[in-house]
This record gives sequence, structure tokens and C-alpha cells, in this order.
Amino acid sequence: MSAQPIYLKVAKYQSLIALFILCLALSFLSDKFLTASNTWNVLRQISVNICISVGMTFVVLTAGIDLSVGSVLALSGAITAGLLKSGIELPGSNLFIGFTISGAILAGMVTGSLLGCFNGWIITKFKVPPFVATLGMLTIARGLTMLWTKGYPISGLGNHFAYIGSGWLLGIPVLVWIACITVVTAVFISNKTIFGRYIFAIGGNENASRLSGININKVKLMVYSIAGLLAAVGGIMVASRLDSAQPNAGMGYELDSIAAVVIGGTSLSGGRGSIPGTVLGAVIIGVLNNGLVLLDVSPFWQQVVKGLVILLAVIVDKANSKVE
Amino acid sequence: MLKKVIKYSLGIIVICFVAYNAVYIKKLNEVKVTENKLFDAKAYAHNYLYKKLPVALNNTIQIDKLLAHIRTNAANAFKTYSHGQNIGDVGYFLVGGQGQIVNIDDNDVLVKSDNGLVIKLAIQYIFGNAVRDAPGLISMNEFNNTMDMNNISGEINKIIKNEIVPPFIVKAKKGDKVAYKGCIELNQSALKLQNIEVIPVFLKIEN
Repeated sequence: MSAQPIYLKVAKYQSLIALFILCLALSFLSDKFLTASNTWNVLRQISVNICISVGMTFVVLTAGIDLSVGSVLALSGAITAGLLKSGIELPGSNLFIGFTISGAILAGMVTGSLLGCFNGWIITKFKVPPFVATLGMLTIARGLTMLWTKGYPISGLGNHFAYIGSGWLLGIPVLVWIACITVVTAVFISNKTIFGRYIFAIGGNENASRLSGININKVKLMVYSIAGLLAAVGGIMVASRLDSAQPNAGMGYELDSIAAVVIGGTSLSGGRGSIPGTVLGAVIIGVLNNGLVLLDVSPFWQQVVKGLVILLAVIVDKANSKVE
Repeated sequence: MLKKVIKYSLGIIVICFVAYNAVYIKKLNEVKVTENKLFDAKAYAHNYLYKKLPVALNNTIQIDKLLAHIRTNAANAFKTYSHGQNIGDVGYFLVGGQGQIVNIDDNDVLVKSDNGLVIKLAIQYIFGNAVRDAPGLISMNEFNNTMDMNNISGEINKIIKNEIVPPFIVKAKKGDKVAYKGCIELNQSALKLQNIEVIPVFLKIEN
């Protein structure tokens, strides 16, 4: 057994090292960074991105991409809020169907899953590149959100629903619990199930996977459905946190989630990556966002910095691949 | 086979349980009776301006006193006298004052007080949330959605422009003494204390 070169050993932990350096620098530059309230604040903020990014990781592992997560998030959040607030009226039969919190949440999650499933169906059935198929869904879902909300926020969703976004459970914000449960489940799926193995296999070599008997279309359909489902979970988290569903919610979230996946070491060409890496990527993005705000950096520069970090992550990833 | 039956039966039971706890069904006409009617922002604004606000007008601060307070301790002045719906730097103040009209144009009436302070009474472009928020009488929690709350501001501003300003403008002329009460908007992080614009809610010529 040959010893691993030191460069590869370091490369394995590059995201963790980057996060450590970032935290160290920010703790010197801002006295507010390393406070308990700021830490909880960062964790709450990144919880949504973690959920979306986990779904995105599965998609990217199959060598795909999902640009629609931000819009799916908005639509699912709006459906949840709308049903919770107003239910469904059936004037023809003089019936009103009201939704409990769990019912509305379930409806939002089903919406997200169906939209994701539709993405998967378009990609597998018509062989449309994921980039194009999900770009279409990005616009469709945003349009549907505008139609559902009539362009206005749906607010006043009640204290019980708002508890999800602002409440604490056993000393930890509920949002963080949701993110943790999502991550643990995703890690289990990716590492301990046959389905998880199939995802890696398809991303590594789709033709070989097909020849070895894996039902590629079914796996992809499920992967995009999961991405949609987790975007919906993110939408419910956002709606609950703001106590309102905004028609323009989730704009740009797809980029943040792709950034988290890439920074976390998942290869955009598929087959290589991990959920913990993505979580680390989301934490880096979150800490970076928080740090730039604390340092009073202009929002315009913040975007530039974020873009540069993503580019750097991809370049480093490419360099690592070559060395390996 | 038995295993499959058990599996599907359990699945159906779970779905039924979830569905039972997810929705409730009522007669639509019963819901409509208990449900609030469509929010009438116009009626709300009318009631607010003519019934609620006059009581609050007894507690206005003189504008020159307010500005002096802001110059010495802005944070304390904002904390003491301003209201608003957010935690940002913008604060709305309910103010009063007297002075002499020094100019009238299509957009503003310039009023100069005895101590030389000049303010603008807006008569044409009446926008924003100053009148809604300055007295601190309206809470966001009263409303089902932000749109209803935003509509109130629009209706308040319309009433001011169509019902409060015109009777004043037809009589007002340069040199008249005027007493006014109204609302102003100031940004604590970008204070601008000259030529302050007051959205009037009470105007009286005192010749």
C-alpha cells in the first residue's frame, strides 16, 4: 500500500481548512462574529440553503443540474401559505376545504416533489439536457407562483406555523433541526442504500451503469423529485421564518446551492462528492455572507466576492482531479 | 402475497390518517359568515383620519423642539418621539407648528416660524407611510397581509390630498398665519434637517 501524497491529504480537507481560515480571519476583523447570537443567526440562515443544496448534490452527482429550485421553493412556500390561510373554496358544492398546518405543509411538499418529478420526466423521457429542462421549470414555477399569489405576499400565517421558522427546540432553532434531519437522512441514503450507490454510479459512467442493469430513468426521476421535495422544504422554512410567502422568494437560491455543492467538492461532471462536503460548502457560503455583512461590505461587492470564491473552488477542484 | 397485502394496507392506513389530519371540510356559506369581509382600506383610512388621529394630535411635539432635540441627541429623540413598522433607521414623527406663509406653489406651501425655521407643507405629492405610522396607532399584526396595510397609506394620502388640503389652499395666501399638524419622515443615518416636508393632517389659517 503506497502512502498518499501530502497534497492529496490536504486537498481532502480543503473546504474545512478554508472554513477555519475564514472564521479565524472574521473573528479578528469583527468582534460580533464569534458571538452566540451571531452563530445561531448564521446557522438559521444556512439551514434553508443546506436543505436545497442536499437535493442539488444528488442531482449534480448524477451529472445533472437543477436551476429550478429557487422557483420551486417559492411556489411550494406559496401553496403552503395559501392553503393554510385560505383553504380551497368549492362554490359549486358549497364546500370549504380547510388545511391544518400539517396538511398545508404536506401539500407544499407534494407540490415540490411533483415539480421535481416533472423535471426528471422531461429529462429522461425527451432527453432534454437538465440545464434546459430545469431552466424552463424555473420560469414556469415562478409564473405559477405569481398566479397563485396574484403578485402579493401571503402573510399572517399564525404563531404555530411561524414557530417552525423562529422557534427553538431543546435549545436549538427548529430550522437547524430540520436541516440536521435532512442531512442525516441524505447521508444515510447516499452511503447506505442501493439507491445511493446507483446515484454515484450513474454520475460516474452512465453507459456502464445502464449496461450493468441500473434503471437510469427511474433513479433520475427520483433524484429530481428529491431535489424538488427539498426545495419545497426550503420554501416552507422561508415562509415560516418570514411569516409570509413572498412571490419573489428564492430568487438566486439555485446559485447559492450550486455554489455550496461545488465548494463542498462535488464534481459538476458527476460521480464524485459527498453530502457532508455540501454542508461544509453551505456553511462557507453562509459564513462568507455573514462576514461580508458584518464588515459592512457593499452588497455589490459581496456578489463579486461570492462569484470569485465559486470560481476558485471550481479551479481547485479541477486541479485536484488532475493530480488524482 | 400476505406481506404485500400487509404493506399496502399499512400504507393506506397511513395515508388516510395523514389526510384526516391534513384537511377539514365545512359548508362554504358557514365559513363566509364567520370570515372577515374583504378589507376596505378606504373606510379604514377614513375612520383613522377622522376618529382615531384627532385624539393623537393632542400629543404632537412642536417641530422646532423636536429638531433641537435631534440635534443634541438624535438617538434619544428617535426613541422618544418616532414610530415605524420596522427596525431600520427611518422614523416617523407627529409634529405641530405655527408660522407665516412665505410662498405657495403647485407642490408646497412654505411656512416660516417666528424663530426662522422654514418647513414645506406638501399639497400635491402626498406619498409614503408617514401619516399611517407616525402616531403609532396602527400595528402590522392587525392585518392579514401587507397589501391591506399598504393600501391604507394610499387611501390616507388620497383623503389628505382631496379633503384636507383643498379647503386650506382656496383660502391661503402669502403672509397668512397658519397653524399646522402633520407627519414627517426622517432617516437617522442620513439626517436632513433643512426644508423638512410635513404631510399635513390639520391646517388652520389664524388671521
